[in-house]
Amino acid sequence: MSYDKCVRCGSCLQFCPMFDATGEEQFSPRGKAYLLQVMDQIEDDEELAKEFRRLLFECSLCGRCEETCSSGVDLLRVWHEQRAKAIETHPEEFAYLEPLKDALANVKNIYGLAAEDRAIYWLDELEDEIPGLADRVYEKGKTTENIIFLGCLMSFRGSQIPVLRSLFQTLEKLEIDYLVMGAEENCCGHPLYLMGNEKGAQELREHNKKVITAAEAKRVISCCPGCLIQLREHHNLEGVEALHHTQFFDRLFEKTKKYDQKEKFSYHDPCELHRILEIKTEPRSLIRKMGIEFKEMDLSCCGGGGLLRMTDPNLSDKIIQLRVAREGVKDTTVITACPSCREQLLGQDLKTKDIVELLSETLDGGAD
Amino acid sequence: MKIRDVVIGANASMYYKLNFKNIKGVYYPKTEQDVLAAIAHAKQNGFTVTPKGGGSGLSGACTGGNDQRVMISTLQMKEILTVSKDQGYIDVQPGITPDKINEFIAPMGLKFFVAPSSRDVATVAGILSTDGGGNDTWINGTMRDNTIRVKMVLYDGRLLTVDSKGVRRNDLELEEQLNKIGMTIHDVASSHGTLGFITELRLLIRPTVKEALMGGLAEFPECNVLGQALHEMIRKNIKINYGEVITEAHVDVREDLRPPLHVVEFPVELESEMREIIDFRRLDSKELARMKDVRVKLPKRNPKVGIQVALFEGYGFYDESLIKLQDSIDSVNTLLIEHGMTPFAKYGHGPSKWYTGDNSATYGLILHSREIKPEGKRGQEMFDTVLAIVEKCNELKVTPKPEHKWPFSDEVKRKKLEEIRTVIGRSFNPFLLSPECNDILGSMV
Repeated sequence: MSYDKCVRCGSCLQFCPMFDATGEEQFSPRGKAYLLQVMDQIEDDEELAKEFRRLLFECSLCGRCEETCSSGVDLLRVWHEQRAKAIETHPEEFAYLEPLKDALANVKNIYGLAAEDRAIYWLDELEDEIPGLADRVYEKGKTTENIIFLGCLMSFRGSQIPVLRSLFQTLEKLEIDYLVMGAEENCCGHPLYLMGNEKGAQELREHNKKVITAAEAKRVISCCPGCLIQLREHHNLEGVEALHHTQFFDRLFEKTKKYDQKEKFSYHDPCELHRILEIKTEPRSLIRKMGIEFKEMDLSCCGGGGLLRMTDPNLSDKIIQLRVAREGVKDTTVITACPSCREQLLGQDLKTKDIVELLSETLDGGAD
Repeated sequence: MKIRDVVIGANASMYYKLNFKNIKGVYYPKTEQDVLAAIAHAKQNGFTVTPKGGGSGLSGACTGGNDQRVMISTLQMKEILTVSKDQGYIDVQPGITPDKINEFIAPMGLKFFVAPSSRDVATVAGILSTDGGGNDTWINGTMRDNTIRVKMVLYDGRLLTVDSKGVRRNDLELEEQLNKIGMTIHDVASSHGTLGFITELRLLIRPTVKEALMGGLAEFPECNVLGQALHEMIRKNIKINYGEVITEAHVDVREDLRPPLHVVEFPVELESEMREIIDFRRLDSKELARMKDVRVKLPKRNPKVGIQVALFEGYGFYDESLIKLQDSIDSVNTLLIEHGMTPFAKYGHGPSKWYTGDNSATYGLILHSREIKPEGKRGQEMFDTVLAIVEKCNELKVTPKPEHKWPFSDEVKRKKLEEIRTVIGRSFNPFLLSPECNDILGSMV
């Protein structure tokens, strides 16, 4: 349903991380929907219209507003459409996004690094520890049951290496038939999708689809919920199941060894994983199978989604800082299952572990 | 003009098309000092002041009309200041919601007993300003019954404390003047921000009593039978903890419910007494929770085609109009249809309680209403329908709930507010009491 069905009841205010961090109504979903409802009165004021377009990008697209909305307004769709319209009609106001768009157009990753380097950094780091890892990188002609889609963050950022190490060690230990897409992987298109640039995103997806099809994979597995949204919902993969790594591993185990728990854990459930992909049970199931005791954190955003880290890094920081202060997680290790959430947590000097890190440790040394 | 000056107009009423150019400042104070500074800015520039809470009300009072005005939101004044378990009160800032209060005091075994369906977003000062209630108002009273005292800032910066006995402040002359005209918490209730800015409230909290409760669902062939049952419950003074009525609901939003119906929760020892009045099916806790959830969400749900609109906050059916509930509703619906509106849903609290302008309590059924907005209907035409409903309510002896929500249509309330404003000034939300109020509201639909 469109924004005109918003009855402006205000129930979304209490859940919106933007409103929580700023305290002002223009950042809230109701405020933005209201602006659309009265746009005919204000659109002639160029400064107001410009401010509104900026506001559209001060949102982490966590989807909590849509989940809360009893009026059934498809708020996420509204924000996507309005973002697309804003960039299309006033590209000059979003010049800061051009380098990202250029990088995606030219080298197919968000960092502007050479496309062939996708499987260089982590391979350098890990191939001594995991013999044969280089052979796991996809090349034309290789086929596999399971193809691993790492995504840009996990392919290029050093902070993600521990997760990758655990992922590969676990796959090896379980003798899974897998390949990593490596240099043949394009960005999944999620950043462009978040800008409302469907055409650009589609070009990236088409290449990925060809590779996945050529590899004859039955499953494509990703640790990144953003990538998984694209793979599952937008790549039109035929006969290929797109899975989050927690889903894949949870299916493999009826039960596991017990994790040797010596620390307190809390669990931050990534918004895109539980709210948009509706993958809620498998991550928790896997944690519980390892016998890990943990505290559930609020089902709220870390501030790392919706391109917010690019469009308003201060707001993004404020959101995670507020949560850290409120939820008392400093003395815990925060479990999560998303590379973007991991970056946000590490940015606050929190200890964090992906679920696959726990699984890898459990398989290595856990108690039966 | 900044975008924050526009967005402050966001509210749940149909009065949302504001003339934004007349909003001369928007403030989100955190402390009383911040409030004083905001009001001082208004006074220096000759602007009026409109307080705004959660914006979940349907009266349009929080818009401030069309005055050149400063808007002051309470949304950042949401602290809990003191809790006295022994003396049974909690001191809070005005922008906190009932849900947040209860989240805080529930572990202490305490509860704040005011539960409007918008309790997740409605602020306590906003609820007092409309004298809101909820599904348990019948036994726990409206907001005024649960407010011990308030602290307010006036337009000239003076501070007042108002309770059920009167007014206190250091300025003895002002105190004497206001006490002479009998200003009490009753006058702050339903004043719609026309007196001052509430900076603090002392609210009644009580221990949650563990009692065995029973849930039930009663369905009725038509609403006269339902009305008579409610009338009987009131006559017998049966202490129902929760009573919600749905008299009609569009097929798009009613799920599997078959209105007219009454959802109730009451102490188990009252079962036989209740069965003498209504034939109900027992609900287990899961079923009851679902019913409560549907009821809370009904006001927000839209039809598949078209948009719902809240023309009118609610109808207070009592005595004869309650006994003839179906006839009264039919009469209102006929009027709505004549005006091109499609009745969409009617639901509300019953038995319930409300106050009229002379501060006397009335007991009956508060029924909220939603209509499907007709295509191409002008705002003024929609507002004309509202005025026609008020007239119809007077004819049917139904309290048009806005009569206590809208001071301008309750002459007793209006007169008292005018009397107080003669003493303290007329710069808070003056449009509500101005002769142009109807024109202004009509222009905002």
